[in-house]
Amino acid sequence: MQRRSITSSQTVGPFPHESWRWSFEAASASAPDSQLIIRGTVYDGAGQPIDDAVLEAWTPATAIAEGTRAVPAFRRVPTDARGQFRFAPTASAPRDAGEPALYLTLFARGVVKHQFTAVFLEDDANVMHSSLLQQVPQARRATLIARKTAPREYEWDIWLQTDGETVFFDYR
Amino acid sequence: MKFDEVAAGQYPLPVYEPYKSTRLRGPLQAPLRVDAPTATTNAIQFSPALVTPIDADLTAHGSAAPLGEKIVVTGRVTDEDGQPVRDSLIEVWQCNSAGRYFHSRDQHDAPLDPNFFGFGKFLTRHDGRYRFVTIKPAAYPWGNHPNAWRPAHIHFSLFGNVYAQRLVTQMYFPGDPLHALDPIFNSVPDANARQALVARFSIEESVGDVMLGYVFDIVLRGRDATPFDH
Repeated sequence: MQRRSITSSQTVGPFPHESWRWSFEAASASAPDSQLIIRGTVYDGAGQPIDDAVLEAWTPATAIAEGTRAVPAFRRVPTDARGQFRFAPTASAPRDAGEPALYLTLFARGVVKHQFTAVFLEDDANVMHSSLLQQVPQARRATLIARKTAPREYEWDIWLQTDGETVFFDYR
Repeated sequence: MKFDEVAAGQYPLPVYEPYKSTRLRGPLQAPLRVDAPTATTNAIQFSPALVTPIDADLTAHGSAAPLGEKIVVTGRVTDEDGQPVRDSLIEVWQCNSAGRYFHSRDQHDAPLDPNFFGFGKFLTRHDGRYRFVTIKPAAYPWGNHPNAWRPAHIHFSLFGNVYAQRLVTQMYFPGDPLHALDPIFNSVPDANARQALVARFSIEESVGDVMLGYVFDIVLRGRDATPFDH
């Protein structure tokens, strides 16, 4: 079969919010079983927070538990004026061992193609056995691990550049 | 589903000097190729209640018809094998016929249209086709460099059938002299890949005395889809 060339990517620019607001609203209506909180800040190469990024989280383990959502297992949040984001995914569905807490996709003005990444929890016993994390060079793994700040609460920042640049994936 | 490496020049350069915002925001390290079966095989489901017919007619969101040239945009979404990407969410957004976005951060001194907001969403059909009605967007200035004007474009956000197929891109209009001058368009090194972002005018898709038609076909990443993938 003749292989087709993929359609190229273009930045979301600064104005995706109105089109995507239906999903922001869904994300803010926190369900009673939304127990896990993962928050952080998105930084550029100068260490400045990015206030116009949008992050999407995908948590396939929760697809059945979230069957009534418009898009089960999917959440989307814009960063705020301080570049901060917060996800509160359903915590009741157990993940497969070694799966990240969130698969994440980042969009922003000046980011010409969506960036795939993932975040793991530092106190998840399966982290070091993760088949995904094991494919990441040892020296960069820490960029994908959220630190615990309170029971069920974690903090994780995203760096688009610098020595601590977050690992971004190309899935195959 | 498997994801071949993207051919050189097909994607925009993460740091492309002429597009200023990329300088501090484009990742400097190449993305890490990894096996991730969950990301490449688990299907994404969309509730049918997510979209209503009016979501695919951006001219029907006000109390009267918006100003500008009404157009219809249609096309087919496939994977790299040419298989249809069906029942999959597409979101679009754009400025109005004066070049102004309905968005608090758009400070361009052009009028808002009380009958046009510029966003919509719809699902691809069983054959991968989509179709929506809108107003032709205008060019607008964006301050990237002296006399910087974006060519008219519509933003497209596609989910595909599995997580790793996600794509956000922009559709341009044929015959626009601003293409050659636009750093965002030209951040894609491959000339054919750039041209594939330009819709084709279609008299066949045009509708009588109502609107002209444009065709924009989209190819998402992914090969060897299983029946569960679409």
